[in-house]
Amino acid sequence: MSRRSVPVLCLILLLSLSGCSPAGGEAVQEFFAMDTLMRVQLSGPKAEAAVQAAVAEVNRLDRLLSRTGEDSDVARINAHAGDGGEVTVSQETAVLLAQALEASAATGGAFDVTIAPVMDAWGFGTSEAELRVPAQDELSALLPLVDSGALHVDTTRNTARLDAPGAELDLGGIAKGYAADRLMALLAGYDVSSALLNLGSSTIAALGTRPDGGPWRIALRDPQNEDGQLLVLALSDQVLSTSGGYERFFEADGVVYHHILDPETGMPARSGLLSVTVVSDQGAGADALSTALYVMGPEQALDFWRTRDTFECILCLDDGTVLVTEGLEDAVTFKGDANGYTCEIVRR
Amino acid sequence: MAIPVRSSAADRTRPTVWDGVIVLLVAAAAAALLWTLRPAAGSAVMLRITLDGTVVGEYSMEEAQALSPLAIDAPWPVTLEAEQGRIRVAESSCPGRDCVHTGWIDAPGEQIICLPNKLIISLIGEHDASTEDFDVIAG
Repeated sequence: MSRRSVPVLCLILLLSLSGCSPAGGEAVQEFFAMDTLMRVQLSGPKAEAAVQAAVAEVNRLDRLLSRTGEDSDVARINAHAGDGGEVTVSQETAVLLAQALEASAATGGAFDVTIAPVMDAWGFGTSEAELRVPAQDELSALLPLVDSGALHVDTTRNTARLDAPGAELDLGGIAKGYAADRLMALLAGYDVSSALLNLGSSTIAALGTRPDGGPWRIALRDPQNEDGQLLVLALSDQVLSTSGGYERFFEADGVVYHHILDPETGMPARSGLLSVTVVSDQGAGADALSTALYVMGPEQALDFWRTRDTFECILCLDDGTVLVTEGLEDAVTFKGDANGYTCEIVRR
Repeated sequence: MAIPVRSSAADRTRPTVWDGVIVLLVAAAAAALLWTLRPAAGSAVMLRITLDGTVVGEYSMEEAQALSPLAIDAPWPVTLEAEQGRIRVAESSCPGRDCVHTGWIDAPGEQIICLPNKLIISLIGEHDASTEDFDVIAG
């Protein structure tokens, strides 16, 4: 190299270091909705307007679907439980309730939106309640109220009715997935081709690709170590929903009680699973299924997967095995071996 | 035996004007490199407190430590503790106290969330995301 080329090289290096900042048209917003912290990040020609529209849409859905909202569709259905009155709701509430009933029927009741009274007994109903272990007598008295058969939905007339007095709906297990579906459709109208919608960590929608053109990379938390990760999933135009006992739990008399309740027993599901992740192009379905598969346990969950082609899943077992269904084989980069996990691909 | 190749510069005893120009250019390039790679002014870690979407306080970690324990007037009052570049929620009257259980945070990008209060305790600063192989953590 000649001596005179040295400064030239330095200058070229300098210019490359200063680089170019990413093109505009990116927007990010964090906000509280649906009892969790959400984060929407996207890029597109109308990024700021798209983000504001996304936040407004989630808040609108929250007002419709929140159990604690003063005049929400769900609160009004609950208020009329058992009085025979049909409640007129928005069309989307009716459609979502119908979806919830379908999920309940398909999973043999492992997912059930009428579990609210039992959730309240534990204090898992809202983030503001005190957590406690209910007495068995109390649970036994509440369990008959957990019955999706008491929920009647008419998607033609947009009405809903809960038959049993004291019964209550809680859409916490499906509403965020539904919000993901709504946002994916909404953002398409803003020409957004790249968005990551983090609807409270448990529900994440990956719209299009990263700004650099690659798929979005979603790490899956190690259920036993907050700072560790099991794997990284490369996803595009899909919704991911995760359910894990570690998300919300408390300890009483040396026993850990988590928030994923088995609708049959009213107790935290202990099915041999630490977490369940469902990936689908349909958010509401993914959300409901992640809870249902957790309650089912690994064997029943995989049997269920084999009968459907609408989703893929990742099951983290309490023996350290991570089962990945074959449709995700190419999307997964496994990292859990560092923490003692082993990964197996499950074939149909 | 091969004769070592010597450049013409090796035979000179006095630097030329061109040598001076090159020295100046290299020095300028080095200074520019240092300037480019200097720690950005905003890269010092800052504590940001956001309550229901509104930033209610922003402090350097030194300020936070001087103010510690720092009481936050939230619906469920919260007390922060800061020491040696790290921060935690020491006390909270919120129901689940998940914010307390989160423990210490010390790196830019880390947060403590108190859902009942709609409170976010964030550490802000230069965060080298390029070393991470993911965009978000699920779970």
